[in-house]
Amino acid sequence: MVTDVDLSVRIGSLELAYPTLMGSGCYGSGEEFAPFIDLSKIGGVVLKSVTRAPRLGNPTPRLVQTPAGMLNAIGLQNPGIDWYLEHDVAKFASRPCAVIGSVAGFSVDDYAYVAERLAARDEIHALELNISCPNVAAEGETFACDPRLTARVVKTVRATTDKTLIVKLSPNVTDIAGIAREAESAGADALAVINTVRGMAIDVNAWKPRLGNVTGGLSGPAIRPVAVLAVYEVARAVRIPIVGQGGIETASDALEFLLAGASAISIGTGNFTDPRIPVRIVEELHAYLAARGVRSLREIVGKANVGFANPYQYEGDEG
Amino acid sequence: MRALQSPASVHDVLVLDRTELAPGVVLLGFHAPQLAAVTQPGQFVMAVPPGGERAAVALGIYEAQGDRASVMFFVCGPRTREFAGLREGDRFSVSGPLGNGFTLDGAKNVAIVAGGVGIASVLLPAQALVRSHVRTRLFYGARTAELLVDRERFEREGCEVICATDDGSFGHRGFITQALAATEDKPDLILACGPSPMLRATAFVAGELGVAAQLSLEETFACGVGGCWGCVVPLDRNSAQAPGFPGQDEGGSEVVYARICKEGPVFWAHELRW
Ligand SMILES: Cc1cc2nc3c(=O)[nH]c(=O)nc-3n(C[C@H](O)[C@H](O)[C@H](O)COP(=O)(O)O)c2cc1C
Ligand code: FES
Repeated sequence: MVTDVDLSVRIGSLELAYPTLMGSGCYGSGEEFAPFIDLSKIGGVVLKSVTRAPRLGNPTPRLVQTPAGMLNAIGLQNPGIDWYLEHDVAKFASRPCAVIGSVAGFSVDDYAYVAERLAARDEIHALELNISCPNVAAEGETFACDPRLTARVVKTVRATTDKTLIVKLSPNVTDIAGIAREAESAGADALAVINTVRGMAIDVNAWKPRLGNVTGGLSGPAIRPVAVLAVYEVARAVRIPIVGQGGIETASDALEFLLAGASAISIGTGNFTDPRIPVRIVEELHAYLAARGVRSLREIVGKANVGFANPYQYEGDEG
Repeated sequence: MRALQSPASVHDVLVLDRTELAPGVVLLGFHAPQLAAVTQPGQFVMAVPPGGERAAVALGIYEAQGDRASVMFFVCGPRTREFAGLREGDRFSVSGPLGNGFTLDGAKNVAIVAGGVGIASVLLPAQALVRSHVRTRLFYGARTAELLVDRERFEREGCEVICATDDGSFGHRGFITQALAATEDKPDLILACGPSPMLRATAFVAGELGVAAQLSLEETFACGVGGCWGCVVPLDRNSAQAPGFPGQDEGGSEVVYARICKEGPVFWAHELRW
């Protein structure tokens, strides 16, 4: 039994006090959840994705509860980068945790334009490239579904900033490891695995799709096994850290991702079940590691993944 | 609608009482002194299903007095079934109070329109109005007499209660909004909570009467706190309740999508672009 367990992790050059990020699009800018949770007890918040032009988002309904999860089709509602920089970003300075900007787009040029401006702001500590949104017509997800486009967009954005660049991958592909390799060679510092799984629900009385957008993205415990496998496969293909996500609600869920090869985890839909989940996970991870005499969370990364190379070994860390 | 939201937090609560008011309609009272002290009429809580595996559900706050608050709901899915299974002494947790409720200032003669379990959000405004000596009528509609739950409670609180049922088993036969339209004593403010067709009809009648109306909207929530933009409704872009940035809908008209959970759930009827 040890008591001084180190839960801090490093993603690129971003130091996180805790291994827990809050998923993009699920957590506002953190402020919305501040009445219910101490934000200094989470690793960081990934902000809602922002695009070059303002977007009103998809028609309603945008949410459907489904077994062990939910479908969403928000459609990247956001004020556009100009408004965002002028009115919103300054407020993020007061967050007692890491603040990660999320960039979405419809062309390589869009991504570079938004990423460069966002990364230039001190309030933003790192960037996540959302190349995998399933809820916008055609172009949104095609980046993460095409290895060459992935490589191009990551390379172009990489050239605009030195801040930590996390690339968020889609599970809606045949070879996620191949895409991951492209993102790594193009200069990604880390990978977020996975975004939502495409899905749909139908109202059998109205004979109509339940979502205004017809299709949506599935999240929550329903996708956890899909996400754990994706992390497992990506971890074997790259040496950069992975932020595992998809249905994490407990420390045990988080451990599955860590043992599969994720260096950190992200919680989205779990916050809708109970806003205290992220803090509970940290407490339980601490107890789990302490009970096993493990001094650092970094030591267990990938332990269930035979042949996996722990990214922290390449940085000269223990583990 | 009030500019200031009350301070919300997470509360672990103890079930004090559970009553089945009609088949499938459950009233759950719980010990929550802090919540009760800060709740404004029209606010709601996100209640975490006790099983711990399902998303929290938004429930209007029915009563808030002293140490006790309560919620009332219709059992219509796995989550409400979990709540319906709670008994005295059980525990669950709620985040709240959330959202912007009714604005009651200045009204002298208020008509409250409630449909079905929409009644769950209108007891607090009714009590506040009666307390300030405002003439308060409840126009209450449901499918059957049995589903006009807690009707006498509103009478005891000092409201005049006018009822309508689809089958005519109690009060007027037909829609409650027809009774509202036929009233000879014109209100100066209408408040409404209930199913969407009833709210639309209320907005129409309010327009005909030339009376301002505040509607409490219902929608599936995910976060319930403004974090996910899943619960939006189109609003006039000049509305004081509109969130920061404007946009254009597919038809090219200028609207703003407001979050029902954050900017609402109560909106001025004439500002909705639905
Ligand atoms: C309502 C909602 C909105 C989301 N919006 C975004 C978004 O704007 N950008 C993004 O990269 N991911 C978005 N996501 C995906 C989540 O960040 C997360 O990757 C995914 O839901 C899987 O994790 P979870 O099961 O913990 O939610 C959204 C998810 C939900 C449920
Ligand atoms: S439910 Fe998330 S913004 Fe309203």
